[in-house]
Amino acid sequence: MEFEGIIQRLREIGAPGLVSTDEPRAADPEDKKDKGRAGDAFVLVEPSAIVGFLAACRDDAELAFDLLVDLSATDPDAADEQFWIDYQLLSTTRRHRLAIKALVAKEGAEIPTATAVYRAAGWHERECAEMFGITFVGHPDPRNILLPDDWVGHPLRKDYEFPTEYHGISCE
Amino acid sequence: MIESNQDPAAAMSERITFPGASRTLPTGEREFMMDVRTADLEINMGPQHPATHGVMRILIRTDGELITGAQPHLGYLHRCAEKIGENVEWLQYLPYTDRYDYLAAMNNNLGYSMAVEALLGEEIPRRAQMLRTICAELNRIGSHLIAFGTYGLDLGAFTPFLYAFREREWMMALFEKICGARLTYSYLRIGGVFNDTPPGWLQEVEHFCDVFEEKHKEYVDLLMMNHIFVKRTADIGVIPVEMALDFGLTGPMIRGSGIDFDLRRDTPYMLYGELIDAGAFDVVLGSGAKGTLGDCWDRFYVRVMEMIESIKIIRWCLGSIEPGPVIAALPKVLKVPAGEAYVGIENPRGELGHFVVSDGGKVARRVRVRGPSFCNLAVLEAIMPGTLLADAVAIVGSTDVVIGETDR
Repeated sequence: MEFEGIIQRLREIGAPGLVSTDEPRAADPEDKKDKGRAGDAFVLVEPSAIVGFLAACRDDAELAFDLLVDLSATDPDAADEQFWIDYQLLSTTRRHRLAIKALVAKEGAEIPTATAVYRAAGWHERECAEMFGITFVGHPDPRNILLPDDWVGHPLRKDYEFPTEYHGISCE
Repeated sequence: MIESNQDPAAAMSERITFPGASRTLPTGEREFMMDVRTADLEINMGPQHPATHGVMRILIRTDGELITGAQPHLGYLHRCAEKIGENVEWLQYLPYTDRYDYLAAMNNNLGYSMAVEALLGEEIPRRAQMLRTICAELNRIGSHLIAFGTYGLDLGAFTPFLYAFREREWMMALFEKICGARLTYSYLRIGGVFNDTPPGWLQEVEHFCDVFEEKHKEYVDLLMMNHIFVKRTADIGVIPVEMALDFGLTGPMIRGSGIDFDLRRDTPYMLYGELIDAGAFDVVLGSGAKGTLGDCWDRFYVRVMEMIESIKIIRWCLGSIEPGPVIAALPKVLKVPAGEAYVGIENPRGELGHFVVSDGGKVARRVRVRGPSFCNLAVLEAIMPGTLLADAVAIVGSTDVVIGETDR
């Protein structure tokens, strides 16, 4: 199914938390500041409803998104007040993809865990949590995965300050 | 303490008794138990264990010979690839992609280049696409040869490893001729490939294909159908279909469980759509031929037979490649249009995904790498409990992880 078909189906089944869609567009020739947007289309979902939304995508027979391929976060800019959390779904039977985005406030960032819908989310969420300081509420195993347990700070944040030393080892 | 007036042999037989209790092992055999108390024991497999194929540690909890829990610990090889991606220019990041799955550097180059090209919207010359396909598939063969050889090594078969490295050496020599490097190629660039082939290179690839097809039969006989090998891998580490989907497995891991899904065929990119239309290759699936569907042998079978499919793809490309430009005309300092794109391609280990975000400048806002090994490794927590400690190596080896990619 193409993106429009997927969105139409999501509206039909009343997937919870669907806010809007964002599709690539060419630059507006009238407006010189507008440069357009390249890349993929995605859907914007309310963070609090993300679990229900993913479950709807997985369980609907026409959408049949049986794989959570990727879950990642992005800090778009140090001045920005929100993180993006991106979910990439894939259907092995219908052979289509869907990109989902949820925006969460940086201050006390938290979002419900998707591990109840896809166990694949478990490790990805651990990585996001340590790299961005996002709390995945209800995660069964919220330990660090790539960083040491005593690491200070969240490295993939744009405002991250590089440490000058770690356990007496100079990093400069 | 044995009393001095007691016969030692009688005392021994009194202590070691066979009360008749037994338990059924995962292999179906029954094990008679002595009245010896077994205690929970924690075993660290790694970080420097040869069978983890890199620096990874698996904390295994055992009760006697049975594994009751397994917990992989990663991060020993974490090199901040994603953070580097936000700090260097688009083209400068390319050599870093070589270093996550260092056994399939061509495929990593391809995944990153395609993600950036998805934002650029640039037309890639046909000859470049042909060369990309040939290199990606040659590298897939090289990667599967390592999987084949080292898995035998893990299970105590040394000879197949030497055979596999003999052919891999030739593959690396071919890459050395085309780009000068043997492991970290950076040959596939954003917009095409770095340089055209040296004279006679394509003929040599064809010669490689001819020889490899003959050698491949030896691999099948020597290791894959070997009775001892089958005994060590069949019915071990079974991943049912639901579990494979739930854990987001991809590549040979998911095809080993019988799920008919290959990104090259099902979400065609580059020339693979044409290849499918021409019927140039098939998708290999596990069928439970030697044991249960989704066991270690099935995953191994998929990797070994995929090498022949890659040869077919290379032959198709060699038959239809034509002279022409090999790289699109792009500026030296690349400015990528604002936007975001996720591109997933079929790496030897599964779906390699790149999620790139651009604000229209010379440097990426975000380069997210979805490594297949990272996701495939998570399933160990679920399949290892309930198996025997002696099978731990067989199960870990069958996931074919590259630690450079799990940690990035």
